[in-house]
Amino acid sequence: MWLWFSKLGSPKWFYELSEKWLPWLIGAMVIFLTIGVVWALLYLPPDYQQGYTSRILVVHVAVAGTSLAFFPLMAIAGTITLVWKMKLADMVAKNAAPLGAWFSFITLATGSIWGSASWGTWWEWSDSRLVSMLFQFFLLLGVISLRSALDNSETASKACALLSIVGCINVVVIKYSVEWWNTLHQPASPINLDSGSANGPEFWVATAIMIIAVYLFFTVSLILSTRNEILQREKRSQWVSDIVKKQHAQARS
Amino acid sequence: MIEAIQFASFSEFLNMGGYAFNVWAVYGLFVIFIFANLLAPRIRRKSIMKEQYRRIVLSEESDASKSD
Repeated sequence: MWLWFSKLGSPKWFYELSEKWLPWLIGAMVIFLTIGVVWALLYLPPDYQQGYTSRILVVHVAVAGTSLAFFPLMAIAGTITLVWKMKLADMVAKNAAPLGAWFSFITLATGSIWGSASWGTWWEWSDSRLVSMLFQFFLLLGVISLRSALDNSETASKACALLSIVGCINVVVIKYSVEWWNTLHQPASPINLDSGSANGPEFWVATAIMIIAVYLFFTVSLILSTRNEILQREKRSQWVSDIVKKQHAQARS
Repeated sequence: MIEAIQFASFSEFLNMGGYAFNVWAVYGLFVIFIFANLLAPRIRRKSIMKEQYRRIVLSEESDASKSD
Protein backbone atom coordinates (compact mmCIF):
# COMPACT_ATOMS: atom_id res chain seq x y z
CA MET A 1 0.00 0.00 0.00
CA TRP A 2 2.71 2.48 0.98
CA LEU A 3 4.88 1.45 -1.90
CA TRP A 4 1.98 2.00 -4.26
CA PHE A 5 1.25 5.35 -2.66
CA SER A 6 4.78 6.64 -2.99
CA LYS A 7 4.91 5.39 -6.56
CA LEU A 8 1.71 7.22 -7.35
CA GLY A 9 3.24 10.38 -5.99
CA SER A 10 6.27 10.04 -8.23
CA PRO A 11 6.02 12.55 -11.08
CA LYS A 12 7.88 10.19 -13.42
CA TRP A 13 5.42 7.39 -12.78
CA PHE A 14 2.45 9.70 -13.43
CA TYR A 15 4.07 11.11 -16.57
CA GLU A 16 4.56 7.65 -18.05
CA LEU A 17 1.14 6.34 -17.03
CA SER A 18 -0.69 9.41 -18.36
CA GLU A 19 1.14 8.94 -21.66
CA LYS A 20 -0.71 5.63 -22.03
CA TRP A 21 -4.06 7.01 -20.89
CA LEU A 22 -4.14 10.19 -22.94
CA PRO A 23 -4.99 8.75 -26.38
CA TRP A 24 -7.97 6.87 -24.90
CA LEU A 25 -9.18 9.82 -22.87
CA ILE A 26 -8.85 12.20 -25.84
CA GLY A 27 -10.65 9.72 -28.12
CA ALA A 28 -13.53 9.30 -25.68
CA MET A 29 -13.68 13.07 -25.14
CA VAL A 30 -13.96 13.80 -28.88
CA ILE A 31 -16.69 11.16 -29.31
CA PHE A 32 -18.78 12.34 -26.36
CA LEU A 33 -18.36 16.04 -27.22
CA THR A 34 -19.40 15.44 -30.83
CA ILE A 35 -22.43 13.36 -29.91
CA GLY A 36 -23.39 15.78 -27.15
CA VAL A 37 -23.19 18.94 -29.27
CA VAL A 38 -24.81 17.44 -32.39
CA TRP A 39 -27.63 15.91 -30.35
CA ALA A 40 -28.25 19.12 -28.43
CA LEU A 41 -28.22 21.39 -31.48
CA LEU A 42 -30.06 19.22 -33.99
CA TYR A 43 -32.27 16.72 -32.21
CA LEU A 44 -33.30 18.15 -28.88
CA PRO A 45 -36.98 19.13 -29.07
CA PRO A 46 -37.88 22.66 -27.97
CA ASP A 47 -39.21 23.08 -24.45
CA TYR A 48 -42.86 24.18 -24.38
CA GLN A 49 -41.99 27.23 -22.26
CA GLN A 50 -38.32 27.94 -23.02
CA GLY A 51 -38.25 27.05 -26.70
CA TYR A 52 -34.75 26.37 -27.94
CA THR A 53 -33.08 28.16 -25.04
CA SER A 54 -33.31 24.80 -23.23
CA ARG A 55 -30.36 23.81 -25.42
CA ILE A 56 -28.23 26.30 -23.53
CA LEU A 57 -28.91 24.37 -20.34
CA VAL A 58 -27.26 21.23 -21.71
CA VAL A 59 -23.94 23.11 -21.75
CA HIS A 60 -24.66 25.19 -18.66
CA VAL A 61 -25.62 22.24 -16.41
CA ALA A 62 -22.62 20.15 -17.52
CA VAL A 63 -20.08 22.94 -17.01
CA ALA A 64 -21.65 24.15 -13.76
CA GLY A 65 -21.79 20.65 -12.28
CA THR A 66 -18.14 20.01 -13.14
CA SER A 67 -17.09 23.40 -11.75
CA LEU A 68 -18.18 22.19 -8.29
CA ALA A 69 -15.54 19.43 -8.43
CA PHE A 70 -12.60 21.85 -8.34
CA PHE A 71 -12.57 22.87 -4.68
CA PRO A 72 -13.03 19.31 -3.37
CA LEU A 73 -10.26 18.14 -5.74
CA MET A 74 -7.93 20.94 -4.68
CA ALA A 75 -8.77 20.28 -1.03
CA ILE A 76 -7.93 16.57 -1.33
CA ALA A 77 -4.73 17.35 -3.24
CA GLY A 78 -3.95 20.05 -0.67
CA THR A 79 -4.45 17.66 2.24
CA ILE A 80 -2.12 15.14 0.61
CA THR A 81 0.41 17.96 0.13
CA LEU A 82 0.12 19.06 3.76
CA VAL A 83 0.26 15.59 5.30
CA TRP A 84 2.55 13.58 2.99
CA LYS A 85 4.29 16.41 1.08
CA MET A 86 3.57 14.64 -2.18
CA LYS A 87 4.90 16.74 -5.06
CA LEU A 88 2.44 15.44 -7.62
CA ALA A 89 -0.60 16.42 -5.54
CA ASP A 90 0.63 20.01 -5.37
CA MET A 91 1.20 20.10 -9.12
CA VAL A 92 -2.39 18.94 -9.73
CA ALA A 93 -3.74 21.51 -7.26
CA LYS A 94 -1.74 24.30 -8.87
CA ASN A 95 -3.01 23.54 -12.37
CA ALA A 96 -6.58 22.90 -11.28
CA ALA A 97 -7.07 26.50 -10.08
CA PRO A 98 -6.90 28.32 -13.46
CA LEU A 99 -9.00 25.63 -15.14
CA GLY A 100 -11.56 25.95 -12.34
CA ALA A 101 -11.67 29.71 -12.87
CA TRP A 102 -12.45 29.06 -16.56
CA PHE A 103 -15.21 26.62 -15.61
CA SER A 104 -16.75 29.09 -13.15
CA PHE A 105 -16.58 31.90 -15.68
CA ILE A 106 -18.24 29.81 -18.42
CA THR A 107 -20.94 28.75 -15.92
CA LEU A 108 -21.67 32.41 -15.11
CA ALA A 109 -21.58 33.50 -18.77
CA THR A 110 -23.80 30.72 -20.13
CA GLY A 111 -26.21 31.12 -17.21
CA SER A 112 -26.38 34.84 -17.83
CA ILE A 113 -27.08 34.41 -21.55
CA TRP A 114 -29.81 31.89 -20.74
CA GLY A 115 -31.23 34.19 -18.05
CA SER A 116 -31.44 37.14 -20.42
CA ALA A 117 -33.81 35.11 -22.59
CA SER A 118 -35.72 33.18 -19.94
CA TRP A 119 -35.78 35.41 -16.86
CA GLY A 120 -35.48 38.67 -18.75
CA THR A 121 -32.40 39.65 -16.76
CA TRP A 122 -28.67 39.02 -17.17
CA TRP A 123 -27.85 39.17 -13.49
CA GLU A 124 -29.61 39.24 -10.13
CA TRP A 125 -27.59 40.25 -7.07
CA SER A 126 -30.21 38.90 -4.67
CA ASP A 127 -29.95 35.38 -6.08
CA SER A 128 -27.86 33.15 -3.82
CA ARG A 129 -26.93 30.64 -6.54
CA LEU A 130 -25.62 33.35 -8.84
CA VAL A 131 -23.72 35.20 -6.13
CA SER A 132 -22.18 32.05 -4.59
CA MET A 133 -20.97 30.95 -8.04
CA LEU A 134 -19.45 34.40 -8.60
CA PHE A 135 -17.80 34.00 -5.20
CA GLN A 136 -16.31 30.67 -6.32
CA PHE A 137 -14.86 32.42 -9.40
CA PHE A 138 -13.23 35.08 -7.18
CA LEU A 139 -12.02 32.47 -4.70
CA LEU A 140 -10.24 30.63 -7.51
CA LEU A 141 -8.67 33.88 -8.70
CA GLY A 142 -7.63 34.32 -5.06
CA VAL A 143 -5.97 30.89 -4.99
CA ILE A 144 -4.09 31.68 -8.22
CA SER A 145 -2.83 35.05 -6.99
CA LEU A 146 -1.97 33.66 -3.55
CA ARG A 147 0.34 31.14 -5.18
CA SER A 148 2.05 33.70 -7.36
CA ALA A 149 2.27 36.25 -4.54
CA LEU A 150 4.25 34.01 -2.18
CA ASP A 151 7.89 33.63 -3.18
CA ASN A 152 8.55 30.47 -1.21
CA SER A 153 6.88 27.72 -3.18
CA GLU A 154 6.44 25.47 -0.16
CA THR A 155 4.67 28.21 1.82
CA ALA A 156 2.59 28.99 -1.25
CA SER A 157 1.39 25.42 -1.69
CA LYS A 158 0.54 25.16 2.02
CA ALA A 159 -1.43 28.42 1.95
CA CYS A 160 -3.28 27.36 -1.22
CA ALA A 161 -4.07 23.98 0.33
CA LEU A 162 -5.66 25.69 3.35
CA LEU A 163 -7.64 28.12 1.20
CA SER A 164 -8.88 25.20 -0.94
CA ILE A 165 -10.08 23.31 2.12
CA VAL A 166 -11.94 26.39 3.40
CA GLY A 167 -13.30 27.02 -0.11
CA CYS A 168 -15.19 23.72 0.02
CA ILE A 169 -17.73 25.40 2.33
CA ASN A 170 -18.75 27.58 -0.59
CA VAL A 171 -19.34 24.50 -2.76
CA VAL A 172 -21.92 23.31 -0.23
CA VAL A 173 -23.50 26.78 -0.29
CA ILE A 174 -23.68 26.73 -4.12
CA LYS A 175 -25.16 23.23 -4.12
CA TYR A 176 -27.93 23.91 -1.60
CA SER A 177 -28.47 27.62 -2.29
CA VAL A 178 -31.54 26.91 -4.42
CA GLU A 179 -33.11 24.90 -1.61
CA TRP A 180 -32.13 27.04 1.36
CA TRP A 181 -33.20 30.34 -0.17
CA ASN A 182 -36.11 30.77 -2.46
CA THR A 183 -34.68 32.81 -5.31
CA LEU A 184 -34.72 33.26 -9.04
CA HIS A 185 -32.51 30.29 -9.92
CA GLN A 186 -34.60 27.14 -10.17
CA PRO A 187 -33.63 23.99 -8.25
CA ALA A 188 -32.44 20.96 -10.21
CA SER A 189 -35.40 19.38 -11.95
CA PRO A 190 -36.08 15.75 -11.08
CA ILE A 191 -35.83 13.35 -14.01
CA ASN A 192 -39.16 13.06 -15.71
CA LEU A 193 -39.58 10.10 -18.01
CA ASP A 194 -42.72 11.48 -19.60
CA SER A 195 -41.54 12.33 -23.11
CA GLY A 196 -43.67 15.41 -23.67
CA SER A 197 -42.50 17.30 -20.59
CA ALA A 198 -40.00 20.11 -20.19
CA ASN A 199 -37.44 17.91 -18.49
CA GLY A 200 -38.15 14.80 -20.50
CA PRO A 201 -35.80 11.93 -21.25
CA GLU A 202 -34.33 13.53 -24.41
CA PHE A 203 -33.08 16.45 -22.37
CA TRP A 204 -31.64 14.25 -19.65
CA VAL A 205 -29.85 11.91 -22.02
CA ALA A 206 -28.33 14.87 -23.88
CA THR A 207 -27.25 16.43 -20.58
CA ALA A 208 -25.82 13.16 -19.28
CA ILE A 209 -23.72 12.76 -22.45
CA MET A 210 -22.55 16.36 -22.14
CA ILE A 211 -21.65 15.88 -18.45
CA ILE A 212 -19.47 12.87 -19.35
CA ALA A 213 -17.92 14.88 -22.22
CA VAL A 214 -17.14 17.86 -19.99
CA TYR A 215 -15.66 15.63 -17.26
CA LEU A 216 -13.42 13.96 -19.86
CA PHE A 217 -12.35 17.38 -21.15
CA PHE A 218 -11.59 18.49 -17.59
CA THR A 219 -9.46 15.36 -17.04
CA VAL A 220 -7.58 15.72 -20.33
CA SER A 221 -6.84 19.41 -19.85
CA LEU A 222 -5.69 18.90 -16.26
CA ILE A 223 -3.44 15.98 -17.24
CA LEU A 224 -1.87 18.03 -20.07
CA SER A 225 -1.05 20.98 -17.84
CA THR A 226 0.15 18.75 -14.99
CA ARG A 227 2.54 17.01 -17.40
CA ASN A 228 3.94 20.42 -18.36
CA GLU A 229 4.39 21.21 -14.69
CA ILE A 230 6.27 17.92 -14.20
CA LEU A 231 8.61 18.69 -17.12
CA GLN A 232 9.36 22.06 -15.59
CA ARG A 233 9.84 21.03 -11.98
CA GLU A 234 11.83 17.89 -12.79
CA LYS A 235 13.97 19.48 -15.49
CA ARG A 236 17.21 18.64 -13.67
CA SER A 237 16.50 14.91 -13.68
CA GLN A 238 17.93 12.55 -16.26
CA TRP A 239 14.62 11.11 -17.44
CA VAL A 240 13.27 14.56 -18.36
CA SER A 241 16.47 15.34 -20.28
CA ASP A 242 16.02 12.10 -22.19
CA ILE A 243 12.43 13.03 -23.11
CA VAL A 244 13.50 16.51 -24.24
CA LYS A 245 16.28 15.09 -26.42
CA LYS A 246 14.00 12.46 -27.90
CA GLN A 247 11.33 15.06 -28.64
CA HIS A 248 13.94 17.27 -30.32
CA ALA A 249 15.17 14.41 -32.49
CA GLN A 250 11.60 13.59 -33.52
CA ALA A 251 10.85 17.20 -34.38
CA ARG A 252 13.97 17.31 -36.54
CA SER A 253 13.27 14.17 -38.54
CA MET B 1 -31.69 10.03 -38.09
CA ILE B 2 -32.60 12.70 -40.65
CA GLU B 3 -36.32 12.73 -39.78
CA ALA B 4 -35.55 13.31 -36.12
CA ILE B 5 -33.77 16.62 -36.85
CA GLN B 6 -35.88 19.44 -35.51
CA PHE B 7 -35.34 21.78 -38.46
CA ALA B 8 -36.62 21.74 -42.01
CA SER B 9 -34.04 24.15 -43.43
CA PHE B 10 -30.61 25.51 -42.64
CA SER B 11 -31.89 29.02 -41.98
CA GLU B 12 -34.38 27.60 -39.51
CA PHE B 13 -31.47 25.85 -37.80
CA LEU B 14 -29.52 29.12 -37.60
CA ASN B 15 -32.55 30.95 -36.24
CA MET B 16 -33.01 28.54 -33.27
CA GLY B 17 -36.67 29.41 -32.85
CA GLY B 18 -35.88 33.10 -32.42
CA TYR B 19 -33.12 32.57 -29.85
CA ALA B 20 -30.25 32.59 -32.33
CA PHE B 21 -28.14 35.04 -30.34
CA ASN B 22 -28.46 33.22 -27.02
CA VAL B 23 -28.00 29.69 -28.29
CA TRP B 24 -25.11 30.45 -30.64
CA ALA B 25 -23.35 32.71 -28.15
CA VAL B 26 -23.37 29.89 -25.59
CA TYR B 27 -22.17 27.21 -28.01
CA GLY B 28 -19.54 29.61 -29.40
CA LEU B 29 -18.24 30.29 -25.89
CA PHE B 30 -18.26 26.57 -25.16
CA VAL B 31 -16.13 25.81 -28.23
CA ILE B 32 -13.66 28.61 -27.38
CA PHE B 33 -13.49 27.33 -23.80
CA ILE B 34 -12.70 23.75 -24.92
CA PHE B 35 -10.12 24.72 -27.55
CA ALA B 36 -8.38 27.30 -25.36
CA ASN B 37 -7.87 24.82 -22.55
CA LEU B 38 -6.57 22.06 -24.82
CA LEU B 39 -4.36 24.20 -27.07
CA ALA B 40 -2.77 26.30 -24.32
CA PRO B 41 -1.08 23.28 -22.64
CA ARG B 42 0.12 22.06 -26.05
CA ILE B 43 1.70 25.40 -26.93
CA ARG B 44 3.21 25.58 -23.45
CA ARG B 45 4.66 22.08 -23.88
CA LYS B 46 6.37 23.07 -27.12
CA SER B 47 7.97 26.13 -25.53
CA ILE B 48 9.11 24.08 -22.50
CA MET B 49 10.70 21.52 -24.82
CA LYS B 50 12.52 24.24 -26.79
CA GLU B 51 13.70 26.06 -23.68
CA GLN B 52 14.94 22.89 -22.00
CA TYR B 53 16.70 21.59 -25.07
CA ARG B 54 18.63 24.87 -25.23
CA ARG B 55 19.51 24.51 -21.53
CA ILE B 56 20.69 20.91 -21.97
CA VAL B 57 22.88 21.84 -24.96
CA LEU B 58 24.39 24.77 -23.04
CA SER B 59 25.11 22.70 -19.95
CA GLU B 60 26.67 19.91 -22.03
CA GLU B 61 28.88 22.45 -23.79
CA SER B 62 30.05 23.93 -20.49
CA ASP B 63 30.69 20.41 -19.13
CA ALA B 64 32.78 19.62 -22.19
CA SER B 65 34.84 22.80 -21.87
CA LYS B 66 35.43 22.07 -18.18
CA SER B 67 36.81 18.61 -18.85
CA ASP B 68 39.23 19.93 -21.51
